[in-house]
Formats: sequence, C-alpha cells, structure tokens
Amino acid sequence: MRRWILPPLLGLILAVAGYVMTLTQFPHVLMSLATKRVGKMGGYNTMYAAPLATDKARSIVRPSPDLAYSSCPYDVSNGPVLVDAEPVPAPYWSLSVFDARTDVAFVRNNIEAEGQPIRIAIALAGQPVPDGMQAVRVKDASGIALIRILVQDRAQFPAIDAARRKSSCKPLS
Amino acid sequence: MKPWARYLICAVAGLALGAGAAVQRVRTGAVGASTAIGPWTTGKDFGTAGASAFTRAVVSLRGILALPAHEARYYNAAVDSAGQPLDGKCRYRVSGKAMPTRWWSMTLYDHAGYLVTNQANVFSVASAAVPDQANWSVVVAPAEQAGMWLPTGRIDRFELTLRTYLPDDGGVGNLTRDQLPSIVREGC
Repeated sequence: MRRWILPPLLGLILAVAGYVMTLTQFPHVLMSLATKRVGKMGGYNTMYAAPLATDKARSIVRPSPDLAYSSCPYDVSNGPVLVDAEPVPAPYWSLSVFDARTDVAFVRNNIEAEGQPIRIAIALAGQPVPDGMQAVRVKDASGIALIRILVQDRAQFPAIDAARRKSSCKPLS
Repeated sequence: MKPWARYLICAVAGLALGAGAAVQRVRTGAVGASTAIGPWTTGKDFGTAGASAFTRAVVSLRGILALPAHEARYYNAAVDSAGQPLDGKCRYRVSGKAMPTRWWSMTLYDHAGYLVTNQANVFSVASAAVPDQANWSVVVAPAEQAGMWLPTGRIDRFELTLRTYLPDDGGVGNLTRDQLPSIVREGC
C-alpha cells in the first residue's frame, strides 16, 4: 500500500514547495532582468537620463509618460554607491531606491526635501559611509535607484532635462 | 516499475505542477487584485516588506518599481463600470471628480503593460491638463474625439492605470467608488 501512497504524497509536498519557491523567486528574477536591461543603457553605478516614455519604451513595464525617469542600476558589492538628486524645475520629483526583492528601501520627494538636493549612500550592512551622508542599507548588492520627475507639459522637458543631468550616481571609491 | 522511478516521476511532476501553477497565477493576476472598487483594483502594500509573495510577484511582472502607498496609489482597470473588458475598438467616457491627492494621471496600456501606438502620440491624461478638477471627463476611443481624448490604438484589450500621487490621507485608505472615475461604454 505504502508504495502507492508515498510517491504521490512526495509529489504533493514538492508541488507546494515548487509553488512557494517560484512565487518567492519571481520578483528577484524580474528585478534582476530589469536591472540588467537598465544597466545596458547607461552602465552600473551611473545615472542614466531616459527619454520620456513612448510606445517604443520596453525596458520597464507600465512606464508613466508624465514622468521623466533617471535611473541608476547600482551594485554595492565593492562598496557604497553615492546618489545625488539635484532639484529640478518641476512641481514634483522624488528619489527612490529599490532592492533586489523590489522593496522600496528609501523614498523622498522634493516637498519633504524642501527643494534641497537629496544625497544618499546605498550600502550593505557594515559598509562604512561618509560622515553626514544618509545611509540607505540594502540586503542584496544590486537594485535600482530611480529619480521620477513630473513633466506637466512636454514643452518644459528641455529645461527639466538639462537640470536633471546634474544628478549623479557613482561608487564611493 | 521500480520504486525509485515512481518517486522520481512524482517528484518531478509535483515540482513542475507547483511551479507552473505559480507562473500561471501570477500571469493572470492583476495589479492590486486584492481590492476591487467598481472597475478599479488596487493595493496598499506595493513596494513594502509587508506585501505578500503573490502581490510582490504580480507587481514585479505588471508594475515593477511601484512606489509605496504614502507616495503614490495605483488603481488599475481592465473592465468598464459594467464589468465588461475594455475593448480598444469601443468608445468610453471616463468621468471623475476632484480626488484627494496632489496630482494624478491616467495612462492607457496594453495587457502586457506597454504604451499603445497611436497617431496622436497621446498616452495619458494628467490632472494638470484638466480644466475643471471637480467635474471632468475624458473620451477613450480609437478615433479622434472633441475635448479630452485618450486613444486606444484599436487594440483588442486595454487597461487604464490611475496614479494618484501624494494622497491626502498618506495612502492609508482607498479612494471610494464615488471618488474614482466611472468608465462607461458609449458604443463600439
């Protein structure tokens, strides 16, 4: 009897395990793909100012055509990465940091920053960051730092684009 | 059949079935499917450690890099107010009132989550372009319309995503059915 019950039971247990494992790994896999795709455009640990999204945009799903995105695919394996978001002439802009699991490790907008630059150091636990710089601790080495800027009128985009290019992303060392 | 072969076959089949079921569930899942308000679905835990594995997986597939609720709330509609799938060959009137948020935008996507090709190169409508925040309407249709128009590109199925940025309540509550726009099909 056991030889007919135990194999299906093992199959059932592994089906549940396979389901949970796949669900858990989904965000890691897709985030890794997204990070690599963005990295191909400007490289790692550098800020890439993407053009406004159109129907040709395929690097990220559900891009907002009302936002200008500047992204930095970071890799802190060899030390912290410094991100500097400079103010732009727009009613809303924000800096957010997404970890490898797609969780937001940090987000701040221009209203909270009172129009001042936002300067952070993305780092793994234990990595020292420069004095006076806000540390954003992440669990995994890679992810994406993203600046979103509201573009209410596409005619304003050239001025916004020039200003956002002052923002940067670079390794500490 | 040898006993080890039975174990091996059941183990492989179990793993494959479990993984396949997970992929299928995520692929058919909607962003924020946990809460439906009229035609809109939403969720409050995007981008947070509190998100369930399923929510996290669906968001990573359909709306990766989503912000947490206090910064932005995302409402998605794949059906109209009568519950019928949004059809790119039909004409809809999306009507709304003032929403308790700093600004909002409504974007049209295909099912995969990409912007839809159209001759006007119009992909969204944002609050800044709406003359009367208290009473506004947008026609979503394949052919050019008078007033505010969001082109469908004549695709079979489309979705609308409403982003509300910096919600007045910090994102803790959902917009009500009265506060969210209605989506009424006017013809095909």
